[in-house]
Amino acid sequence: MEEILRMEHISKQFGDFYANRDITFGVRKGEVHTLLGENGAGKSTLMNVLVGLYQPTAGRILINGKPVRIESPAQAVRLGIGMVHQHFMLIEAMTVLQNIILGDTRDKGLFIQHEERKQEIVALSQKYGLDVDPDAKITDISVGAQQRVEILKALFRGAEILVLDEPTAVLTDIEVEKLYAIIDRLKGEGKSIVFISHKMREVLHVSDRITILRAGKAVCTLDADKTDGRELASLMIGRELSESNYKKIESEQEPVIELVDVDYNKSSKHNGLNGITLKVRRGEIVGVAGVDGNGQSQLAQIVTGVICAESGEVVLKGRKVSHVTAADFIAQNVSHIPEDRNRMGLIGDMTVEENLLLKSTQKCEFCEAGGWRLKKKAMKAYTDEMRDKYDIRCRSGEQEIRSLSGGNQQKVILARELEAQPDLLVAVHPTRGLDIGATRYVRDAMVAARDKGCAVLLISADFDEVLQLSDRIVVMFEGRIMGEYPGENPPVQAISYAMTGK
Amino acid sequence: MQRNKIWNLLVPILSILLAFVIGMIIILCLGSNPFQAIGYLVKGAFGSRTNLANTVVRSMPLIFTGLCTCFAYRCGVFNLGGEGQFLCGSMAAITVALLIGKSGWWVTLIAIFAGTVAGGVWGLLPGILKTWRGLNELITTIMFNYVATLFMGYLYTTALREGSVPQTAPVPEATEIGRIFPGLRITWGIVVALVVGIAMWYFLFYTSKGFQLRAVGLNPTACRFNGLSVKRYMLAAFVISGAVAGLGGACDILGTQFRLISGYGSGYGFDGVAIALIAQLNPIATMIVAYFFAVLRVGSTTMQVGTGVPTSVVDIIQALVIIFAVAGTAAMHLPQIRSYLQTLGEKKEAN
Repeated sequence: MEEILRMEHISKQFGDFYANRDITFGVRKGEVHTLLGENGAGKSTLMNVLVGLYQPTAGRILINGKPVRIESPAQAVRLGIGMVHQHFMLIEAMTVLQNIILGDTRDKGLFIQHEERKQEIVALSQKYGLDVDPDAKITDISVGAQQRVEILKALFRGAEILVLDEPTAVLTDIEVEKLYAIIDRLKGEGKSIVFISHKMREVLHVSDRITILRAGKAVCTLDADKTDGRELASLMIGRELSESNYKKIESEQEPVIELVDVDYNKSSKHNGLNGITLKVRRGEIVGVAGVDGNGQSQLAQIVTGVICAESGEVVLKGRKVSHVTAADFIAQNVSHIPEDRNRMGLIGDMTVEENLLLKSTQKCEFCEAGGWRLKKKAMKAYTDEMRDKYDIRCRSGEQEIRSLSGGNQQKVILARELEAQPDLLVAVHPTRGLDIGATRYVRDAMVAARDKGCAVLLISADFDEVLQLSDRIVVMFEGRIMGEYPGENPPVQAISYAMTGK
Repeated sequence: MQRNKIWNLLVPILSILLAFVIGMIIILCLGSNPFQAIGYLVKGAFGSRTNLANTVVRSMPLIFTGLCTCFAYRCGVFNLGGEGQFLCGSMAAITVALLIGKSGWWVTLIAIFAGTVAGGVWGLLPGILKTWRGLNELITTIMFNYVATLFMGYLYTTALREGSVPQTAPVPEATEIGRIFPGLRITWGIVVALVVGIAMWYFLFYTSKGFQLRAVGLNPTACRFNGLSVKRYMLAAFVISGAVAGLGGACDILGTQFRLISGYGSGYGFDGVAIALIAQLNPIATMIVAYFFAVLRVGSTTMQVGTGVPTSVVDIIQALVIIFAVAGTAAMHLPQIRSYLQTLGEKKEAN
């Protein structure tokens, strides 16, 4: 079958980092071709190259066999490429009709031919089974319907190739079934679909062919009916058991935090928790493995008091906690390395010193007269001490934290959180985006904290990191805990399988 | 880091110079000698003891409203209600002063206190609306300005009206805030303003709570994750900034204006916003910029009399300063300019 789209040897470089490296990828007319890969595997970058948001560093794109240069999203539209983003690009206060014709150039005159446009849209929606009311406001319709509006919008602009970026992430089960039916109709009408996902089950269900991306490279392309979840999982994660450099410990000490049957926003598979039972003991690292967006963020926020569990018990140091704030948990020596260091961990416009002391200016080391006078000298001395101890590289403690590299920013957080001598350390993606040296440093520091008797809950989408560091491993999928495994000689196959929900 | 501080200082100074250059071009186009006009402006502001005193008197309310904005913005709260809070302070102060019926220094103190509380309450209301119900304070505080202005209308036309002219009775002489120098209109209110400004500066940069308040202003999410009560700080910022404006209103009515009349206090609130922004939310700089604004206002009258150049030219200069200062500060945050300045600095260091 002819290929309507072909991306040849695409590379995209950001600085020294290759987001895409020599990827070749083709889509046939009337097929659903899935890009499968973990977060950060390069799926989104590749699609951003396709829709003209990025220019590839190397490689070329062919449409119907002819090489094209796609320099802007508008040009991508003209070439028949339509993208439905994960976060919809709709104007909520406007109606479906207005959203669809927004930016359309069919009306050359001064006025919009509303009735004609409406009939075109109704005809289009009937053809593909995309039932939406063109006069409804976006705010009033369901998320599934909003997605159908996005698809209609792309079709209305003449898309032959539709890119669906994680389309099921926001949908309920019934809506997912509906989406599958729509995809079938689109296929039947000869449209080609690029389906982006990291969920094994749906990928097998919906795809004709699957291309697996890993660390910016295309691993291989498979026919969907000749493969199974197990093969896909191991290709996607792609790791053999790597030798851990850290000694694993079986801790018998008392648990610092215990969750019993905790629910939070249960109905959401990707932003909720469903019956979580978990224990973290003193002197052990419990690693939570799983593909990003399966409730890990909520778990981290519950065990640090940022959000409250909706039901179930949270027991901190043997005491049941009910209505709490992050401050209560901090007072109980809980430290948190949050998932998004710039948004949740640091105050970008403040200095290294101010960020280091964010939680401790009320302590008598750093202030007197009940907080009414800061001891600037003590603060500076402490900052210099921390810069040495944690190898934070900056020109001075007065430097804005924003201007530091990611690794040094993370070291500032690490210094702040570990110097509190925590009883529980919750670390979420602690080495994301760091170079090898900084990664090593952060990992060593967490193991050192464990050896001092701290309970560590490590939540990471980096499977290798979980395997390397954890004394116990639990796997999360769609807000549930799928299983618990030993950190010593972990059954990698079983774990990676559990990560996909089986 | 020194470099950054130098730029923070340079941007407003350059904006002022640039605004003056353009203002002088406009004066030239109006057919007057720009240097002569500026000469009159300077003479009007600094030419005599009385004129100099007038600039100080004019700056006092602007310092208060500037500080009000400065404090709220530092906590990430965009309080545009400085004017309403200022008016509430004035209204409460004069009402208390007139109702007590007696006069004396203790009435002055009670009136000032009442004004401060009234300003704080007027700040608290939009604060509650924001923290409880998530209402945008940009809108609510402006609305509260209207309410305050209209209520003031009720006071001077009806409730506290004296005689046939729509105005209130004056504050009794013994209740007025005293003058520092005999013969000059400067009152102890300016001292209060300076003390509040310095105290605010100290609080923001030298105390633990002030540090946390600034942190909340810069990144509330991170503060929530680090155990600070974001809502409590925001509410406090509303109340305190309102109280500062209210205190200003009380000092102004008891020391300078003595009675409520139509149009009283108009424009103080937004001048305060402009002043605080040009001063880049530094309380000390806010006081200096407020004084500069007062100089322009006082000097412009002399300029008009001397050269026939209308005072609105000074309004234009003032507006240009705001535009340039805000644009300049924004430009400093552009990544390209940042990296350019970085390389500039590094070259100097290398040399």
